[in-house]
Amino acid sequence: MKKPLNIVYGVDERPPLGVTLVSGFQHVVLMSIRLLFPLLVAREAGLPPERILDVVAVSMLVMGAGAYLQSLSSRPVGSGYLCPPSFTSAYIAPSLAAARAGGLGLVLGMTVFGGLIETALSRVLRPLRPFFPPEIAGFVVLVVGVTLGALGTRNLLGIGVAERAGGPGPDLAIAVVSLVTMVALNVWGTGLARVCCALVGMAAGYAAAGVAGLLTAADFEAVAAAPFFHFPSLAHPMWRFDAALALPFGVAALAACLRAMGDVTTCQKMNDAEWTRPSLRSLSGGVLANGIGTTAAGLLGTIGVNTLTSSVGLAAATGVASRRIAHAIAGMFLGLAFLPKAAALFAIMPRPVLGATLLFSAAFVFINGLQIITSRMLDIRKTLVIGLSFMTGLSVDLHPAFFTALPPAAHPFVNSSLVLGTVTALLLNLVFRAGVRRTQTLTVEPGAVDSVGITDFMEAQGAAWGARRDVIDRASFNLAQSVETIVDGCGPGGPLEIQASFDEFSLDLRVSYEGAPLELPERRPTNEEIIASEEGQRKLAGFMLRRHADRVQSTHRAGRSTILFHFDH
Amino acid sequence: MDLREEAVGDITVLEVKGRIDSGTAPVLGEKLTALLGAPGRRLVLDLRQIDYISSAGFRILLLSAKRADEAGNRFVLCGISGKVRQLFDLGGFLDLFAISSSREEGIAAVQ
Repeated sequence: MKKPLNIVYGVDERPPLGVTLVSGFQHVVLMSIRLLFPLLVAREAGLPPERILDVVAVSMLVMGAGAYLQSLSSRPVGSGYLCPPSFTSAYIAPSLAAARAGGLGLVLGMTVFGGLIETALSRVLRPLRPFFPPEIAGFVVLVVGVTLGALGTRNLLGIGVAERAGGPGPDLAIAVVSLVTMVALNVWGTGLARVCCALVGMAAGYAAAGVAGLLTAADFEAVAAAPFFHFPSLAHPMWRFDAALALPFGVAALAACLRAMGDVTTCQKMNDAEWTRPSLRSLSGGVLANGIGTTAAGLLGTIGVNTLTSSVGLAAATGVASRRIAHAIAGMFLGLAFLPKAAALFAIMPRPVLGATLLFSAAFVFINGLQIITSRMLDIRKTLVIGLSFMTGLSVDLHPAFFTALPPAAHPFVNSSLVLGTVTALLLNLVFRAGVRRTQTLTVEPGAVDSVGITDFMEAQGAAWGARRDVIDRASFNLAQSVETIVDGCGPGGPLEIQASFDEFSLDLRVSYEGAPLELPERRPTNEEIIASEEGQRKLAGFMLRRHADRVQSTHRAGRSTILFHFDH
Repeated sequence: MDLREEAVGDITVLEVKGRIDSGTAPVLGEKLTALLGAPGRRLVLDLRQIDYISSAGFRILLLSAKRADEAGNRFVLCGISGKVRQLFDLGGFLDLFAISSSREEGIAAVQ
């Protein structure tokens, strides 16, 4: 693993205490914004104010414990990265439906159900991997980035709030102050200034909001009215299960699982300049920690959680990705859960500041999603999977009236761009997989070698398989060079049979023909040998072929030679 | 494979486009022999637009560099990047040839 240049403190590094505390606090603020979701559900379930305090406190404990669980790098729980969870929009719609149908008991019971589904999914990721390819994980990250960005601009522009006397101008001005501060410190700042760019930007936004009159005495009265210390009660209604809600919670669990995969993939890529493919162990551990987090949330008295993409974006933006920050987050939430005043201070965050913060982290999330998608070659099928799913998901936000008018049974699938886009991508991937063979063959006649055609064969297969560009380039060279050398120097007595096989972990090329075996020397021929004869040129070819593949094997039986080139993927 | 020749003062720039394999390498070899045939020649070989080079292509380049050296000519390669550079590295050729990053630098190098 090689640390990228833009990362100041990598996952295994130990930042100074000041950086750890400031970074942890920035994440705590960002994560606390999502406390709005359990608050909404608690109110929908008709909970009295003193019980709502308990829900908030338990929610903080769940976020803290979840951040710690995700940071664990030993098997089987935890992705090993700074990838903290918070409350997710994926669970909000089914949770609100459950609150209306059966109160908090049903919400909690169904949340446990969703968490158990995620936990089960985490154990079968390997066999499911072909159905959840990296480009779909990247797609989920991309859509989350777009959703965050849209939510950010909505808050930033003051859309959906009652009109104020000054119009949208003050909101916009506050947002600009906050966003410009974050961006300026991030781009031109160094050291601690860059590390705490989001926090300083938020503070600047709070100050601007105070000057503009958006933060009033009434806001601070709410903070003053909250008790200093409150020991949360874990008492809550009995868990209940309703089969009618199993599908919406199942879909939410699947969406949460895919989003966690996308977030953990982003963390892996962010921490490793030489990242090539998602590590399955880390993905499984991340999804398992997510599942345990949601199950625990349901058991303790709050709604489902999911890795927080904007937090991953914040880590990318500040360059502080050490897992020790997760420990600081856990410690802070453990303390804050008993201090309702602190929660109240987060709750009065002005909307433009919230919008600026979301927009800032959305930029990094969006680009990470794009990079994960384009790390693979995309043929027409994969292009359609990503393109059509993106447009379908986006249509939920562009034409909400159409989807609201659909029968209630369809609502779990169409209530958010993330869910509809993800379900569409999974279905299209399933449909298009039907026509893609994992093993392809090609026959080359020695008298009619089309070297461009050979390269095109590998290119087309690489795109159909969604393989990495660099691996396909190496395989293309080995195929073209071996065919050229066999035809010129091994006197093949018939056609060359080529077989290319792919799975997510390897690409194997097998070239078989009647004739003398191709020499694959371990030592490079000297320049004099290469210049002196075509024999030297063939030795050079064999040397390059051997070095270019991760493993080679040459056999000769009953006059037939076979070379196997293996490439790790 | 396509070849395009350009004169920049008394320097020749030969641009190669496409694939250099056992089928096309002899054509390139003949051209290089003609351009480096007499003493005092200066040649920049621009490989920016090649997609593939096999051992046959490397052999021709080695031969041409050797002949240029023997005749006191100046011979520089340029435009080697990405997967083609990886092949030069793979075959141990990066340190064997005079290589410039761009055509302009190549021209400056042979002046």
